[in-house]
Amino acid sequence: MIPVCALADIRPGEAVRVDGDPPISVFNVDGELYAIDDTCTHQDASLADGWLEGCLIECPLHASCFDLRTGQPTGPPAKVPVRTHEVVVQDGHVYVLAVAVPVTT
Amino acid sequence: MTVSLPPSLLATLPGRFYTDPSIFAVEQERVFESMWFAVARSSDLATPGRFETADVGRESVLIVRGRDGRLRAFLNVCRHRGAKLCVEPAGETKRQLQCPYHAWTYGLDGKLVAAPNLTKMPDIDRVEYGLIPVHLREWLGYAWVCLAGDPPSFEDTVVGAARARLGDAEMINHWEVDTLDVGRRIVYDVKANWKLIIENFMECYHCATIHPELTEVLPEFADGYAAQYYVGHGAAFAEEAQGFTVDGSEGFDRIGGVGEEQDRKYYAITVNPQVFINLVPDHVIFHRMFPRSADRTVVVCDWLYTKEVVAGGKDVSRSVELFHRVNRQDFDACERCQPAMSSRAYAKGGVLVPSEHHIAAFHDWLTAKLA
Ligand code: FES
Ligand code: FES
Ligand SMILES: [Fe+2]
Repeated sequence: MIPVCALADIRPGEAVRVDGDPPISVFNVDGELYAIDDTCTHQDASLADGWLEGCLIECPLHASCFDLRTGQPTGPPAKVPVRTHEVVVQDGHVYVLAVAVPVTT
Repeated sequence: MTVSLPPSLLATLPGRFYTDPSIFAVEQERVFESMWFAVARSSDLATPGRFETADVGRESVLIVRGRDGRLRAFLNVCRHRGAKLCVEPAGETKRQLQCPYHAWTYGLDGKLVAAPNLTKMPDIDRVEYGLIPVHLREWLGYAWVCLAGDPPSFEDTVVGAARARLGDAEMINHWEVDTLDVGRRIVYDVKANWKLIIENFMECYHCATIHPELTEVLPEFADGYAAQYYVGHGAAFAEEAQGFTVDGSEGFDRIGGVGEEQDRKYYAITVNPQVFINLVPDHVIFHRMFPRSADRTVVVCDWLYTKEVVAGGKDVSRSVELFHRVNRQDFDACERCQPAMSSRAYAKGGVLVPSEHHIAAFHDWLTAKLA
């Protein structure tokens, strides 16, 4: 499990990025946590720097949106989904499961 | 000046001050890029994401309202390789300002929020490589910017100009200019040097000749003394004029704070280097000049009225028409002078008669700035 941060450090509407290979970001959508690969599949942009609206994260560079639940892009220019990851909360701390959940198509 | 003039006359600036691009370039630097410059009406940028761009001196400046409701100004230049960030004169962006070249992306607060490969360059500070801020102040409902690193005192140079003319720092507040709405805006593209426009606005020696409608409403203007000649003087409306309108017909109710003493009077203020303000009981006329070149100046004129007048859809055309005609008459006169500025006849300049002598103070002010 990859440690992310204390649960309190990831406020609703915000994201915490964990540098790694590849980097992963955890988003707080009204108390619900979602983890995806942080790097947009179109160009190298950090999705943690994007705009969160509901379960969609909009890439800050060319505005493709990814569904945090499935990793699927909702429209161009990105065509390839990002991987989603399982989030675990233990004793007030947030972890991401190192094993990626296969992409659902 | 080698020629000595009779005491009635003072010299103007020589003709080349109105035509020489190198003098204009120095003016851009020492005047327009050094002083406070009224760029935008705040209410035109009412909501977060609304922006305007304007040339101030030789720079393009971007004014944008942030998510926190604050107006900010930046140099309109991408920090990556210098592309002009916003090319439209005005617009609205949903969340951010993005460079159309390599997509460096800035927040409405100027901070660099995203760029391709940005996370691979953790040594790039997002504030340090954010947009370069420009000083901004709001007064009378306008955004005033100053490109100087260390701007002159706003109170002394801008508010002070109104105080000096009206003789009282508080008086301009009676018009509650920041609460007024734009009832009409007319943009004039004037083929004349900006100084001809300022000089024209400062004197009324021409009023009886070119402003028949204005002198009808303000008979004392026929004597040739502009409101700028005095301190604290309002020019009285003609007995038969009911309002400050093209045909002397009735205007609107007095603006809230305007009292008996200012009723049926006209006041005028010049805020160097590019703003003229006219105050009458029921409206305010606010001119902003945008010098484009030695022989071209864009003038944006706003007619401001109370919310009741504008939202109520009242007919403002008769008051707009009065000063629109005055503007046209004045700018035509300036355009008539501009070609002559390069004539041999004007190489040493012209002369100021006594009712224009206060214009010499403007020339002294300018030459000190350029020295
Ligand atoms: S980098 Fe994300 S859409 Fe282009
Ligand atoms: S010049 Fe603006 S992103 Fe490259
Ligand atoms: Fe005039």
